[in-house]
Amino acid sequence: MKVLEVQNLVMYYRTMKGYVKAVDNVSFDVEKGEAMGLVGESGCGKTTIGMSILGLLPQNAAVQSGKILFRNGDLLELSEKEMQHVRWKGISMIFQAAMNALNPVHRIEDQIVEAIKTHENISKEEARKRVAQLYTLVGLDPERARDYPHEYSGGMKQRAVIAMALACNPDIIIADEPTTALDVIVQDQIISEIKKLQQELQMTMIYISHDISVIAESCERIAVMYAGILAEYANAVDLFKNPMHPYTQALMSSFPSIKGPKKRLIPVPGEPPNLLNPPRGCRFHPRCPLAMDVCKKVVPEFTEYGNRHWAACHALG
Amino acid sequence: MTSLLHTEVKTKWQRRKKWVKNTWMLFKKSKVGVLGLVILAIFFVLALASVIPPKINEMYIPLYGTDPEIMGISPPSLRHPLGTDFMGRDLFSQLLEGAKWALIVGITAATAAVVVGTVVGLVSGYSGGIADTLLQRTADILLTLPGIPIILVIGAALGQVSIWTVVILIALLGWPGPSKVIRAQVLSLRERPFIESATVSGASSKRIIFRHIAPNVLPLSFLYMTFGVTTAILLEAGLSFIGMGDPSTVSWGMMLQWCFTSGNTFNAPYWLLPPGLCITVLALSFYLIGIGTQQIVNPRLRER
Amino acid sequence: MSLAKFVAKRVLEIVVTLFIIATLVFLLFRLMPGDASSVVAAKMTPELKEILRARFGLDKPLWQQYLIYVKNLLHGEFGTSFYWEGDVFDILKARMLPTVLLFTTGTLLAYALGVNLGRIIAWKRGGKLEYGSTLTGLFLRTMPMFWVGLLAVWVFSYRLDLFPVGGMKTPEIWGATVEAGLLTKILDVAYHLFLPLTVYTLAIFAGNMLLMKNSMLETLKEDYITTARAKGLPEKKIRDHHAARNAMLPVVTALSLGMAFSFNGSILTEKVFSWPGLGRTLVEASLSHDYPLAQGAFILLAGVVLVAVLFSDILYAYLDPRIKY
Repeated sequence: MKVLEVQNLVMYYRTMKGYVKAVDNVSFDVEKGEAMGLVGESGCGKTTIGMSILGLLPQNAAVQSGKILFRNGDLLELSEKEMQHVRWKGISMIFQAAMNALNPVHRIEDQIVEAIKTHENISKEEARKRVAQLYTLVGLDPERARDYPHEYSGGMKQRAVIAMALACNPDIIIADEPTTALDVIVQDQIISEIKKLQQELQMTMIYISHDISVIAESCERIAVMYAGILAEYANAVDLFKNPMHPYTQALMSSFPSIKGPKKRLIPVPGEPPNLLNPPRGCRFHPRCPLAMDVCKKVVPEFTEYGNRHWAACHALG
Repeated sequence: MTSLLHTEVKTKWQRRKKWVKNTWMLFKKSKVGVLGLVILAIFFVLALASVIPPKINEMYIPLYGTDPEIMGISPPSLRHPLGTDFMGRDLFSQLLEGAKWALIVGITAATAAVVVGTVVGLVSGYSGGIADTLLQRTADILLTLPGIPIILVIGAALGQVSIWTVVILIALLGWPGPSKVIRAQVLSLRERPFIESATVSGASSKRIIFRHIAPNVLPLSFLYMTFGVTTAILLEAGLSFIGMGDPSTVSWGMMLQWCFTSGNTFNAPYWLLPPGLCITVLALSFYLIGIGTQQIVNPRLRER
Repeated sequence: MSLAKFVAKRVLEIVVTLFIIATLVFLLFRLMPGDASSVVAAKMTPELKEILRARFGLDKPLWQQYLIYVKNLLHGEFGTSFYWEGDVFDILKARMLPTVLLFTTGTLLAYALGVNLGRIIAWKRGGKLEYGSTLTGLFLRTMPMFWVGLLAVWVFSYRLDLFPVGGMKTPEIWGATVEAGLLTKILDVAYHLFLPLTVYTLAIFAGNMLLMKNSMLETLKEDYITTARAKGLPEKKIRDHHAARNAMLPVVTALSLGMAFSFNGSILTEKVFSWPGLGRTLVEASLSHDYPLAQGAFILLAGVVLVAVLFSDILYAYLDPRIKY
């Protein structure tokens, strides 16, 4: 059963210098209980997609076309008030908490209770009990729920944010770079934590990160984004065994493998394009080793190549 | 070969000219700042013009020029564009004279305050230790206590107050503010690599402070000076109004004091309104210039 | 450190500061050119002069005079006013309340008004409201407050006859001839308070409002505001409970730092409206060289300012849980 379906989403930002086409015709879906990863370089549009799903885009952003289907409705058609009902209870988000995701002047418990009480009609006592349960679930001491954010370490804050995201039992959780601001050891703990929770609770998740190793560890389906377009979309195993898009292939060879033989790290040459004026045709063609004439003029179709393995590349025939 | 050398070696003068031109280009971008500058220019002209009326006729002397035909207050007329005060003195000449003093007092007091504040900030921030603690403690006390009572008490002890006493007192109250900001700036600059390298290469403290740190701090000082002029003008006006001013100086605050104490607040709008308006507009102009300068000094504010 | 310890420490600091101030004032009057003694006036009777000389030890060396001075201060003995020929402390006691009334009410009102308008305007984002408020704020900051006061008296008291021209009490109500009830007296003071309070509040609130507005705009960029939105909270809750609650912290800090400025304002207001407070007393005493009265008024005024700063610091510590005492 599909929990969320993104169909042909096109989205742009209005800036002083022009229009930035941040998301260009992206489609994917998330099945129930599945952890889907959205991976790409900074600025490729993955966070924008996450924000679009929750309707949290800034004022200068606009959706040009496309649908985001959730619970038999198109989220993009909802009014702000209707969207407020969907938020958190239907779809919640895990932010980079080591930054500023928690309000510094309110107690953490109050902030979680606030989320619960906004969407459910239960007493404060009940809500507090649930917070204690959530805390135990994510590995935090329930006694510390009444503390303020500045009294927590980075890892603790992240766990608190995870607890908060789970508070209303949402259908789907979007995790946006949840470990980027943490040090490596804590990162590892959090990733394991999320993985454990996802399996225990059968959570449906969208995991957004620029770190492909993190995505590889935690997700069953992976969508690779580049400069606002979807390059490839496949099961994790298939993606690593058989990367089809040149960009994905380049990504694979640009990070070391501990197990395999020593090989030369080949970074992807060039730089991500300026989205004010993206390259015509396939957006990757300036950096692509397989670029042909047609790549400079025609946008490759996003095609399925069997076993839910999609890619957009002219070289795939 | 020689042509290469030629283009590289610019004289100090040329570099300064270029810097001035660049700064002006940046400043021009702020419409608000330019407006402030225009208003200031107008007041400058007014101040310069203050010497004209007394030359035309002795009755236009601001402090003691009386009109033989008019004994007391009178509304605006051809002879007296703004009317006369309770002693028969021409109000318009007083206004022009007030412009002169507002500019003199404002700019002098603010500059003095900022110079002292900058030096204190530099020394305090760079040296640290006892000097820093002492200076900052003094600054704190001066900042917490309201300025007018301090000036009142000092003025009471002194007896007679001249306009320059007022200027010195305003400067004395004005230095703590800039000093704190400059000190903060110095503290952050002190840790920068270029200062470290200067120290290591044997530069004396004095040289480091004045040659290396000061130039980075000066734009901030200038910014505070412009805001300081606004404060100084308003402060002088307030002091003159309550009577702690120099009675032999015709300032706008004095004009308002004479109006108030001679009981003419209600029946002479031509006396009441112009000085207050002038204070407001001149103070505003410096404030606007400050806003315009702010965006040069603080690059974050550029290009909203 | 707990709150009690924090307050105790600050109170001690205030006492020390006042002590330093009193010392400085002592030195100021003794060492300045002009009057040799700051206690005795020429027009006093010889008997009074003798009494004062003995009490203040005017014939003794400076350091001894200083000790007597300190001893006297601690006993509330501020000297005798030249002008009024009465005990300074008694005179000042009566003037404290009007100043505290005007100053406290005005500062609190200015703060409340500034914070609330600021947060609403910042939320509306752009448009005529923001432009208008910035403009108004700009003018209120550059108009000399005493001049605005004069204009207010001219328009509202003189021409429209809505309010009294000055003073705090209508003599008839407070005099011995008519026995007026407490309510009438309170209303009378309120009636006199209205105009000076309005002018004073207007002068102070502009800075608060602009600061709050800017603070809100900065706060709205913070991540926790995005979190609050993501949680599906209603707009007003995000604006007030999350954004404003954080944005007002710099404004409270500014309140602390701006006490001096506020006080300058209250002194000018007292002068324009003939409000019988410490500020006006200080002005008159200074101008007439009534040193004992000026000295006493100054020290008391300093004390009031320092206490006010302490209160606003406590308020800040209460609002910001990150502050460790």
